[in-house]
Amino acid sequence: MPVDNRRLWTPEETIPPEFITKYRPTTELVNQNGKRRDGREANQHRPTYLKAGAISQAKGSAYIEMADTKVIAAVYGPREVMKREDFTMSGQVKCVFKFATFSCKTRQKHIEDDREKELSMTILEALKPAIRLDKFPKARLEIFITVLQDGGSALAAAITCGSVAVADAGMEMYDVVIGCSLRQIGERSLIDPTTDEESHRSLSQSDEKSNETSQAMMTVALMPSINQVSSIIQKGELSIDGAKQALKQCLDTARKLHPVIKQCLNKAVEAKLKR
Amino acid sequence: MAEILMSEAERTFILHGIQDNVRSDGRGCEDYRPIELETEVVSNANGSARVRLANSDVLVGVKGELGKPSLDTPEHGRLEFFVDCSANATPDFEGRGGEDLALEISSMLARAYDCPSCLDTQALGIIKREQCWVLYVDILILECGGNLFDAVAIAVKAALGNTKLPVITVRKDENDETELEISDDPYDCERIKILNAPCIVTLSKVGNQHIVDASLQEESCCLSRLMVAVTENGTITASKTSGSGSLNPESIIDMLESGKRAGTLLNKTLHAKLLEEEVKVGTKKKTMGFLT
Repeated sequence: MPVDNRRLWTPEETIPPEFITKYRPTTELVNQNGKRRDGREANQHRPTYLKAGAISQAKGSAYIEMADTKVIAAVYGPREVMKREDFTMSGQVKCVFKFATFSCKTRQKHIEDDREKELSMTILEALKPAIRLDKFPKARLEIFITVLQDGGSALAAAITCGSVAVADAGMEMYDVVIGCSLRQIGERSLIDPTTDEESHRSLSQSDEKSNETSQAMMTVALMPSINQVSSIIQKGELSIDGAKQALKQCLDTARKLHPVIKQCLNKAVEAKLKR
Repeated sequence: MAEILMSEAERTFILHGIQDNVRSDGRGCEDYRPIELETEVVSNANGSARVRLANSDVLVGVKGELGKPSLDTPEHGRLEFFVDCSANATPDFEGRGGEDLALEISSMLARAYDCPSCLDTQALGIIKREQCWVLYVDILILECGGNLFDAVAIAVKAALGNTKLPVITVRKDENDETELEISDDPYDCERIKILNAPCIVTLSKVGNQHIVDASLQEESCCLSRLMVAVTENGTITASKTSGSGSLNPESIIDMLESGKRAGTLLNKTLHAKLLEEEVKVGTKKKTMGFLT
């Protein structure tokens, strides 16, 4: 591992206190009335606030808030590609995804780790099919996404936020991309999970029953107007029918978010025209 | 991934063939190319396997070391996947060229194996919060002939099945300090159960059809693919799309179905082959001389 010497030194090995405490939440994830800990139905998305144009210096930017999940994205370029060997006739897109160091339960490192690198690649794969790359040959568009607070479903929020930022930058696109996550715990599928619901396995490790039920997490990126899925990423065991069902539920929820994005982009355009 | 240049006529030829369920090498859309498998090829590793899937060549070595368990799973051992895209495979991998592909493969494998039913990591734990087995699964890509993910997953599963870890006993000495005792008999070893471990099936969308096990030529005709990690009983432990295109929701469902079919068949064939290999190598100590 490369060591970053320029920043303030902390002890070489530290443990967040949550791992030592014996505290476990006592309430069930879903109570008898079918309500989740935050009072939502199983298939209900958290209330979402979306704003385009959050960073004035960037070509395009967006900010999304899904209750405790807060993500900001900025788009710069397209800029000329300076290195000769990177030359291509279609446009290039670069995506950097970062968790702010204080955004998660455990502290994140400043240096990009493998998880962030993989998420960057996933977001890039989700956004690229929506962007008209032939419109900016020999140039590169740069998307920077930072998670300010991870309250669950950060990847889905980042995909939506990134696509709105690209649209806000005035890039020609086939469609916007909407991300949606689902957490499957046994028979229960929870749309748009919070961090508690995402990490449910590690909380209830001691009871043996939880090992037998399926535990999975799926994130889907949908382009709603042309009905195309640009990316799926899933982990954890699911049966084939379970996977199909999860996919359908994610797509349905993503379609419901489409009006929110439309309205947000409309507002941004109106604000730009007034200026 | 390694790119090859192809003319428009060649592309059309491949595309039309796939539409009629006859591919350029005579296979159907859900057929694999011939697979060669060898286990126990590296004597210094705890387990190893080499897989050759037509022109794709992959060597996997598993080394077991003792380490500290991760914080959120104090009683479990863990697996670490490292992929090395050697520049022998294609000059594109020289320097940092293969890094993205390597990360993509290793994270897909890590996700596929990260579920309690497919690999029992609890059996790899030794002392809670203190000691556990860390299995370093190192994957070396020697030749790139299309469909790397599937070849790598087969090789990883075979290498894990071949892995022999020495038996460790935990004792307390007179000062009440824990001591680890490692058996020095090389035949006194533990094996890893891999019956439920997944195989990855890559489904490439070419035209309106999808195919399994795409060759390099077919890969360059395909804009988007879906990778699914399938276990023998047909469940999916991880999935992911890749490529620059997008997919229709209905076609994803079809692809999941054929992924399940191809995956269960692949797992069955692999298990039969591994059993055969096991008999050939033998698990019993061979007695030699009069004094043993």
